[in-house]
Amino acid sequence: MASVRVMTRTLKHLHRRELGFLGLIGLTGLLIALQLASGLEGLGMPEGGWRTIDRAALERRIESGDLRDLEAEWFRPSIGGEGTGRGPGPGNRP
Amino acid sequence: MSAVTCELCPRGCTIPEGAAGDCRVRVNLGGKLRATTYGRPSAIHIDPMEKKPLYHFHPGSPVFSIATAGCNLHCLNCQNWQLSQRGGEEMEEIYRLDPPDLVRAAQGEGCRSIAYTYSDPIVFYEYVYDSSELAHREGLANVFITAAYINQKPLRRLCRVLDAANADLKAFDDGFYRRVNAATLQPVLDALVTLKEEGVWLEVTNLVIPTLNDDLALIRRMARWIRDALGADTPLHFSRFQPQYRLRNLPPTPGETLDRARREALDAGLRYVYVGNVLGHEGNSTYCPSDGTLLIRRVGFLIAENRLTADGRCPTCNQVIPGVWQ
Repeated sequence: MASVRVMTRTLKHLHRRELGFLGLIGLTGLLIALQLASGLEGLGMPEGGWRTIDRAALERRIESGDLRDLEAEWFRPSIGGEGTGRGPGPGNRP
Repeated sequence: MSAVTCELCPRGCTIPEGAAGDCRVRVNLGGKLRATTYGRPSAIHIDPMEKKPLYHFHPGSPVFSIATAGCNLHCLNCQNWQLSQRGGEEMEEIYRLDPPDLVRAAQGEGCRSIAYTYSDPIVFYEYVYDSSELAHREGLANVFITAAYINQKPLRRLCRVLDAANADLKAFDDGFYRRVNAATLQPVLDALVTLKEEGVWLEVTNLVIPTLNDDLALIRRMARWIRDALGADTPLHFSRFQPQYRLRNLPPTPGETLDRARREALDAGLRYVYVGNVLGHEGNSTYCPSDGTLLIRRVGFLIAENRLTADGRCPTCNQVIPGVWQ
């Protein structure tokens, strides 16, 4: 009986003093779960995106001849863009 | 600066200036898409044709095989991820091998074919096309080893210069494609039909991964689709999975699973069903579908015995065996 009283008192104490902290932990857990879920969703999504690259490294290697800056085929300016890509279709490559 | 939309593969990446597509090697510089790995392979090997695998196309011949960095798929089980999941600027080894140099190198090594392989050659499309055109002029054949995640227009144009293709059909399940390959099934099926329609010699590979795509009902559906859409003479290769990259937690495919898959495909009506990556397996050899005669006995990638007639027939019943044998 005494132990039940101690437990109840502890819970009330927790309720008063630590509720905010527990809430914060819960919220953090929720945010982590949402983040993981969005990451997994991305993993399964085939839709196209793009990737940031080390542009300086790319340009260095193009300059040295390790890589090329040859115009590709099969592209077009994105809607609303200002590009002048010819795609889709064969490019004016050598 | 303007963004561009790549129309090469079904991803349709919209790429801002200074960034790359999902494949890492098609880059928007100055509002135009650039093929940064054109003529710059990072892998060059001479392989037997059987390694592609192509079992009905110039058997036993060496094939000059190249790949550049990058890929438009991101398979969790990729066996070439150091090559496929990197951009050109991240590669230590880059060879300068423009199309004329490539064709000369292949000829110099005594190869009658060039294979565009290892990563997915779709991402170095322009290099494949120009090299293939030149190779044809020099009497060489072109083989395309691909996951076939490509749009119809570029594929149809490419087919003009291709002689053979081995296309991965990773699973007959769109969910699998989304989870394991970051792709979708339907464009792959469409591409396989197009390769067939355009007269490219086509063989199909299915890597059987335990627990992910080894369900026999799934395999049966896939085999029936191949029979109906591509024809019963289309060779199908069931390949054994080895744990690697991000699927190291799964075991290698048990031999019995491959046996059952092969039996299922044969029962569905496919005439040439193979088992790969299992040394000495009877399913590695070619048999006459009419009388069961052993036609080509393979040990690993080696041809131990070839009993086909010069014009590609069974020596005992004269059945024509489809393929490009000469």
